[in-house]
Amino acid sequence: MFVQKDRKLGVADGKRQYDLPLNRDEGSGFLILLIALMTFLAVLALSASFVLRTMGDRWSSGLENKLTIEVPAESANETHDGIVISNENVKSLTQEIAEKIRHHPAVKSADILSDSEIQDLISPWLGEDVSLIDVPMPGLISVQLQVTTPETLHALEKAARDISPTARLDTHETWLNDLLRFTGAMQFAALIITLIIGATTFTAVAGAIRSRMAVHKDEVELLHLMGAKDDYITSQFQRHALTLTLQGCVVGVLGAGIVMVLIGLISGDTGGALIPDFRLGIVHMIALFLLPVAACGISALTARHTVLRVLAGMP
Amino acid sequence: MIKFENVGLRYGIGPEVLSDISFALEPGSFHFLTGPSGAGKTSLMNLIYLGRRPTRGLVTMFGQSINDLDRRKLTPIRQRIGVVFQDFRLMNHLSTFDNVALPLRILGRPETEIQNNVNELLEWVGLGGKTNVLPPTMSGGEQQRIAIARAVIARPRLLLADEPTGNLDDDIGFRLMNLFDQLNRMGTTIVIATHNQAVIDKLGHPRMVLEGGRLNIESTAQKNWIQKKIQGVF
Repeated sequence: MFVQKDRKLGVADGKRQYDLPLNRDEGSGFLILLIALMTFLAVLALSASFVLRTMGDRWSSGLENKLTIEVPAESANETHDGIVISNENVKSLTQEIAEKIRHHPAVKSADILSDSEIQDLISPWLGEDVSLIDVPMPGLISVQLQVTTPETLHALEKAARDISPTARLDTHETWLNDLLRFTGAMQFAALIITLIIGATTFTAVAGAIRSRMAVHKDEVELLHLMGAKDDYITSQFQRHALTLTLQGCVVGVLGAGIVMVLIGLISGDTGGALIPDFRLGIVHMIALFLLPVAACGISALTARHTVLRVLAGMP
Repeated sequence: MIKFENVGLRYGIGPEVLSDISFALEPGSFHFLTGPSGAGKTSLMNLIYLGRRPTRGLVTMFGQSINDLDRRKLTPIRQRIGVVFQDFRLMNHLSTFDNVALPLRILGRPETEIQNNVNELLEWVGLGGKTNVLPPTMSGGEQQRIAIARAVIARPRLLLADEPTGNLDDDIGFRLMNLFDQLNRMGTTIVIATHNQAVIDKLGHPRMVLEGGRLNIESTAQKNWIQKKIQGVF
């Protein structure tokens, strides 16, 4: 085994990786850094896409076949704003409506939200220390249906309004659709960003390979004239591109992994409320680890295609 | 084995550097290619080792017309040709050993065979102690010997050498010419472009003389072949 100082004396190091001097090219470090940064961004963008997907799924599944009946703390009045009614009356009306709709065949359950549950819901806006004793509070019934149909919704609304004309059904549909549309758009943007990052990386790899082909034109031509098949020559560039991409991907994925762990630690456990935890499922993790594999594969193919195109111009 | 019929070559839209070149190289023949500088020797060698395709005329190599042959099908033909380039064209980042081993690796020969054959040939050309040395640190004569060893290592059926003894002293020059002679006796067809009249006179093989892009053959057999060609015998 020869050491580095021997090379300075014009002695080979005994390790022949390629027939072409690809591993001594200037710019390999730059390409590795570029691929690392691109992989880093791609992993983060893809992770964001997965988190948004999880968020949307959780919202959809959590609110599927669910609705809330609200009994406002005011009576109907056609000429003025409603007249505030007492909390006892609201509770009584709420109880009555809940009893009535529980008998409907489409209703799986109808649970009245307790004062503490309602306080939990409004505390983000009014604060923890506010006493609700003197505040007019609506009654809320959380209803789980077997299946949601327009007929069922109409029947439940009628049953509630028979008891309290101001009672409202909230199927969460409007705001859920808005949220899902927003998360869908964000998810799409994240995927587009991932694709752009991928395209940029592969353009960079193709450019780097093309420039190496130009730099080593004489050596490539020599191999060609000595009877090297196209595969023999392309395999060297492929292996080179694969090695550089793999190195860049490892650095990029490790960097992105560290950042994701930090984001998870900073965001903490949100308890599965409106904003879900920044955690990825096993399928998402596998997909993220497949990203560098795919990058290496596509990078090698890009190199092969680039080299074959140049070789096609040789006699 | 190698047949050129009315071959012409021009670079781009320039004038023809080779015109109406016709000759045939029989298997096991040995020819010197001579002529003044700029006569087109390197261009003709370029055509023979398939570094270029002719702009006109017919070229047949090892029984195959190469004019319309797919470029991928030229690869096996190239594998049968060994070339000593005038400027050596060594891989400067590869050791002496790896430079010489290159044709065998291209052919996919097993590493043990490569080790044995390359080491044996390097000993023979006097570079046995420099197997791990990089070419740029070696003298012109040593580099030329690497180039020659690389050209003959795979026992080509056709060996082309462009001024192979230009940088060598007489002793090693004749020794390498003897190597070419031995290869020739074993069946390798050889064409050597050289100005070295002493070598030409000593070995006495027929000469192909290029002048102004046209070829004159100073060999009875060649002249007969050309004559028959002109008379339409074949």
